[in-house]
Amino acid sequence: MKGLLLVDDVLRARPWLVRGGDHVRWLLIVVTIMLVFGALYGAVMGSYSGARYQQILYSALKVPLLLAATFALSLPSFFVLNTLFGLRDDFAASIRALATTQAGLTVVLVSFAPFTALWYVSFGGYDSAKMFNLLMFGIASIAAQGLLRRFYRPLIQSNPHHRIMMWIWLVIYAFVGIQMAWILRPFIGQPDVPTTFFRTEAWGNAYVEVARTLLRLLGW
Amino acid sequence: MWKWIKQLDGILRGDATRLPALREGRIDMPVGGVVIVAIGLAVIYGLCMGGFAVIRAAWPEPGVTVEMADAYKQMLASAVKLPLLFCLTLLVTFPSLYVFNALVGSRLSTLSVARLLVAMIAVMMAVLASLGPIVVFFSVSTTSYPFMKLLNVAMATIAGILGLAFLLRTLSRLAMVQDAIDFPPSESVTEGEDKAKADEQKTSSALDQIDSNTNQNASAVFKIWVLVFALVGAQMSWVLRPFIGSPDLPFEWFRSREKNFFIDVIRSIGELFGA
Repeated sequence: MKGLLLVDDVLRARPWLVRGGDHVRWLLIVVTIMLVFGALYGAVMGSYSGARYQQILYSALKVPLLLAATFALSLPSFFVLNTLFGLRDDFAASIRALATTQAGLTVVLVSFAPFTALWYVSFGGYDSAKMFNLLMFGIASIAAQGLLRRFYRPLIQSNPHHRIMMWIWLVIYAFVGIQMAWILRPFIGQPDVPTTFFRTEAWGNAYVEVARTLLRLLGW
Repeated sequence: MWKWIKQLDGILRGDATRLPALREGRIDMPVGGVVIVAIGLAVIYGLCMGGFAVIRAAWPEPGVTVEMADAYKQMLASAVKLPLLFCLTLLVTFPSLYVFNALVGSRLSTLSVARLLVAMIAVMMAVLASLGPIVVFFSVSTTSYPFMKLLNVAMATIAGILGLAFLLRTLSRLAMVQDAIDFPPSESVTEGEDKAKADEQKTSSALDQIDSNTNQNASAVFKIWVLVFALVGAQMSWVLRPFIGSPDLPFEWFRSREKNFFIDVIRSIGELFGA
């Protein structure tokens, strides 16, 4: 019960999540939320082909992995840029704002999980399942961005440079995250393909694939 | 080593270029150790860049065989070439900067300019190295050579813009500090402090005009130089190529002379989306 209250705190962007309190407790809370809720949505995502437990397990692992790996890869450049913009003293608060937002993102995703399950039950197509999940991730990202703005508001008030850094973070994070999601496929699992953690074919590049698809559609 | 990293940290945080630190109108930060740290960071990014060749050799595409030894050579070459790239770019652009800096009567001494440039390169290297993990991640996950080329160009552009912005900001701060300090000494030596201050207030507007003229010239020199530095750097990277190593070509320390950087960037964009 107390745990759920903490989740509520995340959604309401309570200030203690960014400043004050000890770092260890905060870290435990945020990591736990990310793991539990990320895995929950992942499991629902992977349940497309019914009771393929392996795919469900893999997808449950992959959603937290996606978020954590993207976060870790984006961190070094964000650190150097923050230092350059003179925001080093606030760095701990920035990191807490960003990581808590990620935890919030997983909570939003879980709240969408019933829709995803209903979609899987009512419409069969694999492509439509993909599109629906993409839509859910899209909406959850927009919601999380709102959360991030709220966490960042006091930071921006203390130094307007934080606004630039917030946008820079979103750009780096999206750039890495899109490719990360691409190589961690399949999240849903095509029913007629045996379950594997990674796709067996070459990984390829999300941006190249998307650009080619677009150009093909335009008839180039 | 730790001390040097602290010095670099001071530059990045802006401690070294705050107004009090520039009070004397010159740059006094110790840069000896920073040079070594900057070279280290450049080597790290070079390894990240050259890592693409090793990763592609370790997991080759079907039908392509790449010698593992060649891939390691490529990685080594990139690690050596990246610091070299920035050193040579400075070497090519510094003489003209020195001459024009003196010609327009900038009060910045040559030593201060050199220190400032070292700090600028250090900023660039820190940003570049911090982008290294992202480059490695894309090296692992993508097989597209033109994509890797463009990604590295983008990373170098980001680092370059931030480094050059650092340079111009610091120069404008120096100009500000010098404005405040440089004029009244003749009066302030003979007269009392308050009188000197009042004189400064009175005289500064008249002197300001003359002074800001020389400053404007100096800052114009640096603005043009920034552009030259970017162009020379880009072309220097082309001369020193390969940094990444095309999977279709055998390993060479240097490629033969042909085309230029900008043509290849445009061609890479075409390749990326076309074939």
